[in-house]
Formats: sequence, C-alpha cells, structure tokens
Amino acid sequence: MIGLLLAALFAQTAAAAPAPAAALPKPLAALADGKHKDGTPILTQKQRDTLAALPERTIKLLSDAADSMILGSPEELAALLSLDVQPQVLDLIATDNCVLCHADPMNQKPKALFSPDPKAAGSNPLLNLRELVSDVHFRAGLSCAGCHGGKPSDDVMPKEIATRWPAEEVRHTDRSWIPEFCARCHSDTQFMRGFNPTLPTDQLAKYKTSKHGELLLEKHDNNAAQCVSCHSVHGIRSAKSRNSTVHPQKVPETCGKCHADPEHMKGYLTSAGAPLPTDQVEKYKKSVHGQALLVKGDLGAPSCTGCHGSHAAQPPEVASVSQVCRRCHAQNGMLFDSSRHKKAFEEHKWPECGQCHGHHDIQKPTVSLIGNTTDTLCGKCHAENSKDNPKCNETAKHFRTTLDEMIAGREEVSGEVEHLAEMGLDIEPVTRSLSDLDEAVTQSKAKVHSFSMSTFDAAAKPGTEALQKSRQEIGEAHNEFQFRRRGLVGAIVFMMLLVAGIGLKLRELERSRKDSDKP
Amino acid sequence: MSVDTSNIAKEGGGVFGWLDRRYGLTPLVEFMKHKEVPVGVHSMFWYYLGGATLFFFMMQVCTGSLLLLFYQAGESTSYESIRFITTKVPFGWLVRSMHCWSAHLMIISLVTHMFSTMMLKAYRPPREMTWVTGFILLSLALGFGFSGYLLPWNELAFFATAVGTDSMKAVPGIGDFLLQVLRGGTDVSINTLHRFFGLHVVILPLVMVGLVTAHLLVIQRQGMAPPQGHKTAPKGMRFFPDFALRDLQLWLMCLIVLASLAVFLPYGPHIPGIEWELGKKANPLAPAYPGIKPEWYFLWIYQLLKEFPAHFLGMEGSQAAVLLVGLLMGAWAMMPWLDRRAQRDEASPGFTDIGAATLIFLGFLLFKAWDIGGGGIGDKLPDPVLTARICAFWWLGIASVATALRATVLHQRYFLFTAATALQIALHGLLGMQYLAAGGIALVALVIGLLVLRSRGQAVPEVRS
Repeated sequence: MIGLLLAALFAQTAAAAPAPAAALPKPLAALADGKHKDGTPILTQKQRDTLAALPERTIKLLSDAADSMILGSPEELAALLSLDVQPQVLDLIATDNCVLCHADPMNQKPKALFSPDPKAAGSNPLLNLRELVSDVHFRAGLSCAGCHGGKPSDDVMPKEIATRWPAEEVRHTDRSWIPEFCARCHSDTQFMRGFNPTLPTDQLAKYKTSKHGELLLEKHDNNAAQCVSCHSVHGIRSAKSRNSTVHPQKVPETCGKCHADPEHMKGYLTSAGAPLPTDQVEKYKKSVHGQALLVKGDLGAPSCTGCHGSHAAQPPEVASVSQVCRRCHAQNGMLFDSSRHKKAFEEHKWPECGQCHGHHDIQKPTVSLIGNTTDTLCGKCHAENSKDNPKCNETAKHFRTTLDEMIAGREEVSGEVEHLAEMGLDIEPVTRSLSDLDEAVTQSKAKVHSFSMSTFDAAAKPGTEALQKSRQEIGEAHNEFQFRRRGLVGAIVFMMLLVAGIGLKLRELERSRKDSDKP
Repeated sequence: MSVDTSNIAKEGGGVFGWLDRRYGLTPLVEFMKHKEVPVGVHSMFWYYLGGATLFFFMMQVCTGSLLLLFYQAGESTSYESIRFITTKVPFGWLVRSMHCWSAHLMIISLVTHMFSTMMLKAYRPPREMTWVTGFILLSLALGFGFSGYLLPWNELAFFATAVGTDSMKAVPGIGDFLLQVLRGGTDVSINTLHRFFGLHVVILPLVMVGLVTAHLLVIQRQGMAPPQGHKTAPKGMRFFPDFALRDLQLWLMCLIVLASLAVFLPYGPHIPGIEWELGKKANPLAPAYPGIKPEWYFLWIYQLLKEFPAHFLGMEGSQAAVLLVGLLMGAWAMMPWLDRRAQRDEASPGFTDIGAATLIFLGFLLFKAWDIGGGGIGDKLPDPVLTARICAFWWLGIASVATALRATVLHQRYFLFTAATALQIALHGLLGMQYLAAGGIALVALVIGLLVLRSRGQAVPEVRS
C-alpha cells in the first residue's frame, strides 16, 4: 500500500500517445504526411490535431487547393495551421489564390513571401501572414484583390495588378497618392454602407484640412503621416480592437512613432517659429489624462486625438484650446466664461485652461495652486500682472483657507472613523456626512473657476456643515464607546465580587467540615 | 419507575416539600449529595472544560435567541437585519459579538476538552459512549459554525460557503447529490440561506440539546472518569456544592473574558477565519476574490485539500483528501475501541503520543493555511515554499519543547508518532519535498518504527510521575 502510494507520488506521467489522424482527402493527406529530409514529419502534433479538428467544409476547401497545387507544399500547410485561427478564416485563405500562392515558402521568393514569422523567413516585415489574416478588410472578404487588383480566383497574376498606383520608383518617394487611393472606397458612402454603415466617409476631406494633409498633398513632404502611417498596411484592424494601432490606448504610441522621434521631427516649427518639441508623448504619459487612459484603462480619457483630432489633426491654437477642454470639463468652462478672468485672458491672448493647467503634462490640480502667496499659481500670476487688487488676494486666500480646512478636517475624521469602525461602533452616519463633504470639496474646487467668493461659498457651505456634523457624530461615537467600557468595567467588578463571594463560601464550607471532623 | 403518591396530601416542607411529594425529588438530591469528582492525581483543570463548553453553549442559546428576535432570513433582509441589530438595536452589537466570540470559544474549549479526555484516556470502558456522544457534539458544533457563517449574507460568508460546500462534491459517488441537498440547488443561493437558517436554529439545536442531555446523563450516571490505574478515585470532591460552585466561578470568569473580548474586539481578532465584520452584502453575480478562507477550525481540511494534486491514486485529488479526512475523523470517533491497552486499563503511551502528534499535525496545517511567514502583503501573494519553511520552524520548535516537557516533567518515553509527524514537517518545510511525499516517507518510517517496537516485545511503557 505504502509502496503504491510512493510509486504514485513519484511516478512520471506517461507521455500522451499521438491522436490517430482522421481520414483526410488524398491531396491534403499527401501534404499532411510530408516529411523533412531526415524523415521527421513536417507538421507538428499540434498542427495535425488542428487539422483533424477542422470542419468538413474547411477540409474540402484546403483539399481542393492542394489538388490544384495552389496550396503547394507541406511547409505551407504547416504555416497555415500554425496561425491558430477560426476555421472560417482558413476558409477565406483556402479560397484566395493570392494568399495561397504568396504564403508558400517552397515556391515563393522571400521578398514576396507572406510568412507567420517574416523575420525568420527573411521576408519583408509588412508581409506578415498573421497580421494579414487579422486585417479587417481581409476578414470582410475584400482580400488582396480589393487593393491590388485582379480576382482571388485568378490562377496567374493578371496584368492589371499594381496598375492602380504609381510605378514603384515613384510611389515610395512620393506617397501623396495613398489618401486618394484609400478614399476610393472610404469616401464612397454607397460602397461603405455594404460593409460598415456607421463608419464616417469624410476622412479624406478632413485629412486635406489637417497639418499632415497640408504637408503631404501640397508640399509632397513624404515625412508627413498618411493613412498607412497610423493604420498600418496589411494588419489594419477596427479602432475598437485592442490590437489596433489606432485603439485609444495605442494612439499615443502611434503618434509618438514620429512625434517623439527628434530625427523625424527635425526642421518642423511651431506657429511661433520654435522647433516642434518631441517630448509630448513622454509628458502625456505622466499626465492625469495619460495615467487615466494608459494605467487605469479609462477609455473616456483623451489621448492625442481627443484634443488634436484624428484625420483633421491640427495643433489647437489659443482660440480653440479652451473649447477642446470644454468638451469634457463643460461646467468649469462656463464658470470661467462668466468670470472676470475671461476678459483679462483675452487681453493677454492667453490660452484659457492651458495657462494654469498646462498642456500635455496636465496634472491632477491640487489646492496648492490656489492662494495669495507667490508660491501659488494665483499669487505668482497676480504679483506679475495684477498687483494692486487686494480683493483678488482676499478671494484667493479665502478659497485656499476654506479648502484646506475641509480637506484637513476630512483627513482627521477619516482616521477616527477607521478606529471607531474597528471598535464596532456605528459609523454609517459619519460616512454619510463624509460623503457629503467629499461632494462639497469637489464642487468647491470646480467653483474656483468662477473666481467669485459668493459662488464658491454656496458650494463650500454644505461641506463645512458636513464636517461639523461628522465631528459631532464622532464625539457621540466616542461617548458610546466610553459608555461600553464603563459598562464592562462595572460588569467585571460585579462578577469578580461574585467570584470572590463564592470563594469565601467554599472556604467557609471547608472550615465547617474540618470543624465537624474534629473529635 | 413511578412516584409514591400516598403521602401527597401531607402538608409542610415548603416548595421543595410540595414538589418532592409529587415528583419524588429526595433520591435525586441524595444522589447529588453523594456524587463526587475524583481529585488528587491530575490537575483539576481538565475536569472543568466540559462545564466551560456547556457554559459557552448556553451563551449561544441565550444570545442566539435574542438575535432571532430581530434576524429575518431573506435575500433583502438578512444582511439588513444584521446591520440593524449591530447599529440600531440597544446592545445588539454586544449580543452579536458575544454570539460570535462564544461560538469560537466553545469550539476551543470543546476541542481542548476532547484532547484532555483523550490524553487522560477517560474514554476507556465503561465510558465509550460518553466519548462517542462528545464526538458527535463536536461535529454538531462544527455544523453550527458552518451554517451560522452564511446567515449575515455578506460577501465573505457567501464566498466562504461556496468554497466550503464545493468540497462536498469530492465525496465519492454521492458528492453531487450532497452538494444539491446542502445548497438547495447547484449554486449557493437564497435557498442555501434558508436551509442553513433552518439547520442553525431548529434542526441542529434540537439534536444538540438531546445529545448534550444524553452526554450529561451518562456522565451523571457513571460519574467522572477516575484517573487511569484506579477503578475509583483515591480521593473525591463533592460535586454539590463544592465542584458546582467552582464551576460557577469558572463560568463567571468565562463570562468576564467573553464580555471583554466582545467590547474590545467586537469583530474578532482580525485573523482569517476568526472575523465577522459585516462588510459588503453578498452579490451572487460578483466574482469571488482571492484569499477567501473558511473558519479556523476547518482550515486544516482546507489546507489538506490544497496539498493534494489534481489526481491521486486513480482518484480526484479532492476525493482522496476528503477520504483521508473521513478516515482520520472515523479513527478519532473509534478511539475507545482502537486503544486496546486503555480498554484493559493499562497505560497506552502510544495513544498519548498520537494525541500529541495530532495536535502538531493540525497546528502545522493551520499555520500553513494562515500563510504564516509567506510574506503575502497587499496584492503580493504569499510564497508557499517560504510559508512551509517558516511554519516548519514554528512547529518543529513547538514539538521539541513539548517533547522535552513530556520527557522531563511527565516522564513519558514514547514519541514515535510525534517523531513521524516532525519528520514529515521537516522533509516538507525544510527540504522542500511535497507534503504528501514527505507524509509517505514519514508513514514508512513510522511503520518501520512500530515493527521494531513490536519485535522487541511491546511498546515502551509510559512512566507516570
């Protein structure tokens, strides 16, 4: 028994026997049984299992392709099965002669070979078979012929292929043909309705108004981004896909490919004539928006396109930057518009929000920005631009004092609440008051943008009241705890007296027994 | 037996006389007057543990009845009513806290009572049924704990119950059926709550009261077990009033401890498996979060389940673990019949050592289940190898001290089972061997040791002080 136990403990599990291959049609079976020169099978066991598990329809399509020798080698069959895709995708591949022919490593030169691993195959990185079969166009059935010309059923390459775009020596040196080429379909509302009726068809029109469009289409600047710069070539995915280069969380990286590369951006200037910086992405990643989008995964937070636009990307100028912020921070914008600062900012030609909060590196605003001393944002700006205005100083000081009191009060009460909760006291009323206080702090911070003491006070008043209430409730909870402790001490004293009384009674019993035992 | 009613019309004797004439109480009083508790050989402390357990059980009945006045079982009422009890009902917090603390203290005193009974061999004839009823009472107490845990219908209870009931699946053959019966469906739901509520407040209390009565009756009928080697006690203490008053003193002390814990640690000592903070309401649709553990007295089973691989000896790992737990519990219940030397009223040092080894075995699993020394803080998961090592240091240390005390103070000489348990802990914790592999080796070593002892004639006799 013990021997068995030990044997079971130390026994190695026997290697699983290979699954018997299902009966395949002859042409496909011939490829599946292909062997290397040393006699080892070309298809791995996993690939054989994948093949055996394919539905009848897919097997037939692959077999037909093998029969016509377009699916031409066991190596190609191995490459297709290694893609690990749904049978429906294999159906698409098996009926597309372009892919079948260009994915055969035994009959295609590396330069034109689509491979699951282009680097290992010595092929062009753009000819990635895995990317191709994930492409939104490929999966919609547009296939290679959709862009390159010809038909998927062509046995040989027709002459019309590659005639839709400029000759090779031109098309790589001047890419201004690309937007128009993509727009053949994407600007055709009728055509697009057949694939994705919700997709806008104004990309080209917008692109033409963008800085990128201006550089590429008017100045033929090949460095300027066009469709494939952002969307890639053979692996284009829907922007909703997390693997897409234009998924919100990938946008900073995609834009950064050019904008964070000092070499690429060399020679480009801002409207003020200064060299265009290349630290935007780095700053953005550390900003409150970057952290929300990239770290917390909040897809509502803006990426580059959230402020600059995508197809119509432009640097927001002074006039429009505040409108960009207002898209999300509407209340603060309205408060600012009705404040005295609005006029002053316009006179100075300052970008409204950006002047205080920054641009790419916007941080979560804290109360330390507010105040009348020169180490605060308000105080510093007023010391430089609006010295003789005691009311402003008074207002800023009031904002800061009130917010500081509420925040410090919250800290103090929170610590108490935790302690009282551990003591088992009812902290629900305090929690409610603290929730009111939090709401008031948030509202008060927002109302700072009105720069009006009365507006601010209206929002802060419920907060100061909630703080006062929570302090009172904490006091009551402390009293309750004192009551419990005193009650316990009283009960213990009473019980100890009982214990002592019983002890005395026992001693008396023993004494009386001893007395009665004496002769 | 009928009561003589011929003198019922007589007068005098006060209330007792009135009752005595009708119900014949005098023989009972005479019996109580002559009932004695053996003293003088072992510490009297061990004789009080049963009484302490009874006290905590009575506390459970009292506090449970008070909670029942406000508790409403239901999806939208269970959590809310417990919250109401702890926040709005005067002294409701105290009643709930005492109920929870008393439950844990009852298990502690029950287990200690049972181990002391085992070590003193009080289960030997003619008291086998006292042991068996005690064992069933322990099982019932565990059932009380398990069923009561779900009643607040909070997140922790919900998931712990889901994990706990899930282990039922491992019972060979009828596992799925048992799971369905226990849960009232395939998943933990409001049906489970109603079942557990019924179990907790009606079925288990009825059985428990019946069995406690039976347990007490056999004790009263047979008297308390005299120390081993004596058919009767060398010296006796009157049960009434001497022992009863001392019992009352202990009960008062227990009440002081209970009340103090309830006031200063109302939600338990914040150790996994000994905490009852209400937290969030259960949400059956929410995903279970990691680190959910059952109550401390089930943790050794929980850890044992974790130590088994997916498959073991042709069985599902969990099935094998449940089978092992069943065998161990069965052996524990059959102890009076397994311990043949004690049956002959001879010293049985092997079984004393089994008791000590069992404590080390359970303690090591408990510490491992608590991930002691594993360095799991916040989101960082504890390291199982480090946990095993630190727990091994702890329990090898405790085992060494305990063995040294047994050898020097109690003059015991039989440590084979303790040594085998220590060997398993050392192989697993210090050398990094798998828990079961280490157990297998320790088992082989134990069997060899037992065979060597047998070949020498018999086990080393226990030397008494």
